[in-house]
Amino acid sequence: MPLGPFGESQALSLGVELELQLVNTVDFDLTSSAPDLLELLSRKPFPGTVTPEMTQSMIEIATGIQTEHAPLLAELKGMRDTLTTACDRLNIDIAGGGTHPFQRWSEQRVFEKPRFQQLSQLYGYLAKQFTVFGQHVHVGCASGDDALFLLHSLNRYVPHFIALSASSPFFQGVDTLFDSARLNSVFAFPLSGRAPFTLSWDDFTEGYFTKMEATGVVQSMKDFYWDIRPKPEYGTIELRVCDTPLTVERAAALACYLQAICRRLLERVEPAPAEDDYLVYTFNRFQACRFGLDGVMVNPKTRESRTIREDILATLRHVEPHAAALNSLAALEEIERCAASAGNHSTHLREVYRETRNVQSMVQESTRALRAGPRLW
Amino acid sequence: MNLDLLGPLVAWPLMLLAAWLAGEWVFRHWNLPRVCAYGVVGLLLGGLGLSQNGVSQTAQGFMANVALALTLFELGYRINPRWFRRNPWVLTAGLAQVVLTFGAVFWVAGFFIESTDQRLVLAALCVASSPAGIMRVTHELRSAGQVTERVLHLCAMNCLIAVLLLKLVVGYWHLETSGDLGQAAFNSVYVIGLSLVAGAIFGVVAPLLNRLASGSQSTTVTFGFLVLLLTGLAQTLHLSPLLAALAFGVLARERRIMLSHAQRNFGALGDVLSVFLFVFIGSLLSWRGLFGGLMLGATVLVVRTAAHVVVNASIARVSGTTFRKGVLTGFALMPMSAFALLLLEESRLYGFDLARDSLPVIVGLLVLLDLLGPLVSQRALMGAGEAHPEEH
Repeated sequence: MPLGPFGESQALSLGVELELQLVNTVDFDLTSSAPDLLELLSRKPFPGTVTPEMTQSMIEIATGIQTEHAPLLAELKGMRDTLTTACDRLNIDIAGGGTHPFQRWSEQRVFEKPRFQQLSQLYGYLAKQFTVFGQHVHVGCASGDDALFLLHSLNRYVPHFIALSASSPFFQGVDTLFDSARLNSVFAFPLSGRAPFTLSWDDFTEGYFTKMEATGVVQSMKDFYWDIRPKPEYGTIELRVCDTPLTVERAAALACYLQAICRRLLERVEPAPAEDDYLVYTFNRFQACRFGLDGVMVNPKTRESRTIREDILATLRHVEPHAAALNSLAALEEIERCAASAGNHSTHLREVYRETRNVQSMVQESTRALRAGPRLW
Repeated sequence: MNLDLLGPLVAWPLMLLAAWLAGEWVFRHWNLPRVCAYGVVGLLLGGLGLSQNGVSQTAQGFMANVALALTLFELGYRINPRWFRRNPWVLTAGLAQVVLTFGAVFWVAGFFIESTDQRLVLAALCVASSPAGIMRVTHELRSAGQVTERVLHLCAMNCLIAVLLLKLVVGYWHLETSGDLGQAAFNSVYVIGLSLVAGAIFGVVAPLLNRLASGSQSTTVTFGFLVLLLTGLAQTLHLSPLLAALAFGVLARERRIMLSHAQRNFGALGDVLSVFLFVFIGSLLSWRGLFGGLMLGATVLVVRTAAHVVVNASIARVSGTTFRKGVLTGFALMPMSAFALLLLEESRLYGFDLARDSLPVIVGLLVLLDLLGPLVSQRALMGAGEAHPEEH
C-alpha cells in the first residue's frame, strides 16, 4: 500500500506515549498482568488511551493532542493516578524505566495479538529481548516537507534526549555501564537507525518508501524502527529515542523541551540540515547511551566537541523565549535541574543500587518514584 | 545385615526417587501436576505397609513439618498484607469463604457422622487450603495473574483461620472432657498467639544474621536453617510450627529482605523436601479408608468446592476481576490434604485424642483431595490463561 498523503495537524502540537512495566509486589519482577489490568481499566473511561504492548508485562499509555505543558502534565498525572489505583486493587505495581533491571527475556510472554505473534515469529529472541520501555513524543507538523525538515534538523539534538531520559542502567541483572542500555536492544533490529536524507515529502514517499515497499521488506511505516520517524496518518514526526523516565514530570518536560527546540528550528535561524550531519550521528548517539550527560558530542556543523550536559545548558538559553511563548518554562526548569544538578534517572538508580547492593531495590524505587513524582532526591 | 532397617533406610529413598521420576514423567507426558504422582506413590507405599515404623515415623513427621513450614514461610513471604486494605473485597471473600465452608461442611457431615466433635474437627480442617499443593502447582506453571494472586492470599488466610478454628475445637473438647477452662484457653489463644510471636521474632532476627552471610544465595540458606530451627522449637514448645513459619514469612517480607528469584521454593532443597512431603502424606492415608469414607469424602468435597466457588464468583466483579476468574479461583483453592493432615497430626501429638479418632472418618476425603486437588488447581490456572510454563 503506498504511503497516503501527509495528514493534517496543528504545528507544534504534542502527543506523548509511555511504555510502562508491570511488576509484582513480592520481588518486583515483571508480571504478565496486562490482561487483568486492561480488563479492570475497561470498566471506566480512561483519561487518554491505554493499550497492550508486545509482552504481557507491559502496557502503553498515550495522551490526547496537547499544546501546552500544564495540560499535558495534568493528563499524564491523571493517567498515572488511574493506573496506580487499578494496580493497587490487583496487587501489582507499575513503574517507568527503560529496562527492567533483572528480568530474563526468555520468561516473557508475548501478548496474544496477531501482529505481536507475527513479530515474535520473525524476530525470535530479539522480539522478547525487546522487552524495553520507551517514551515516544509526537510533534505536529504543518506539512510533510516541514516534517522531514524537523526530522533531520533534530539529528544534532538526539543525544540530548537520550541522555536526559536515560533510565536503563541495568539489563538482565548486571550493570551495563550504559546510561541507556535500552537503545542497544533497539539497534539490533535491521530497520533501526535513521531515516534516509531527503527534505521533500514527495521524494520520500515516491523515491524511498515505494521502492522499499516493492522490495517486500516493509509494508508500512511501522516496520521502521528509526530514532525519529514520520507518522503521516497523524501528520507528526515521532521521536523514539527516549527511555521511559521514572516520573511523568520528566516525561512531560522532555516533550516540551522538544516542542521548544522545534519551534526554534522552524524559524530556520540555524543552518539547514545536510547529509553530512550524520557523519557524527552514531558517535554522538553512542556517547549519549554510554555516558549520559557526561558523554561528549561533536557538533555536526562546527565540528566542536563538548559534553552533552554543556550542549543542553547552552540550548536551554536559546530556546527559552520559545518555551515562554509556548507556556512551558516549567518544563525547561525540570530539564535544567536534570542536566545541571540532579542528573538523569540512571544516575539515581545506580545510587540506589550502590546503597542497597540489590537489583530489586531499583525497581522498588522506580514504583515509588512514579507515584511520588520529582520530590525525591 | 539388619533387615529391620531395610524399610526406612532403603525402601523409602527408593520410593522417593521413584516418585520424583514419576512426577517428571506425568508432567512431561500428560501435563499433570508432579505432586499428583508423588501422592500416588505415597499411597502405594502406605498400602504396602512400609510406612509402619514407630521410630522412623517421628523423624519423618518432623521432616514433613519442616517441608511444609518452608512452604508456609514462602507463602507468608508471598503475601502482601496491604492488599487486604487496598482491596477489602479480597478480605471479605476470605472471611465469607471461611464462614460458608465451615457451616456447610458441618451441616452436611451431619448426615454421615454422629459425633458433633468429629463434625467440628472435619469442618475446621475443611476451611484450610494446602499451601504445599497450591504453591507447587503455581511454581510449576510459573503462573501470574489475578487467580494466582487471590488463590495464594486466600490460601494463607484459610490456613491461619483453620488453625485458629481447630484450636478452638480442641479447647472446646478439653472443656467438655475435663472441664478445665485453663487447659481449654491454653490450647487456643495461647498457642496461636505464641506461635505468631515466635515467627515474628525470627522475622526480626533474620536480617541480623543475614548481615553476617550476605549474598543472595546465602540468604536462602539462612532462611532454610531458621525455618528448621523454628519448626523444632515450635514442636518442642507445643506451638504450631505451621503458623509460626507463616508469620516468619510475612515478617521477613515486611522487613524487605529480598529472596533471589532463582531461589524460589528453596530451589533443589525445596524439590527434595516436597517429594518427601507428598509421599509421606500419601503413605499416612490408606486405600481401605478411601472406600470406607468415599461417600462422605465425595459429598464434603462437593460442598466445600461449591462454597469456594460461590463466594469467589459472587465477589469477583466488585473486587476487580471477572466472573470467570472468580469461579476459577474457587476451584483452584481445592488442595488441602497435606496441611489438614499435619494439623491433625500436630493436635494428636499434643494430646488431642479426638484427632486420632477422626482420621479414619475423613481419610476418604483426604485421599480424594490428595489426588484431585493439585490437578484441579492446575487446570483452573491454565483455564485462566495464567500459566506460563517454561518452553521445552
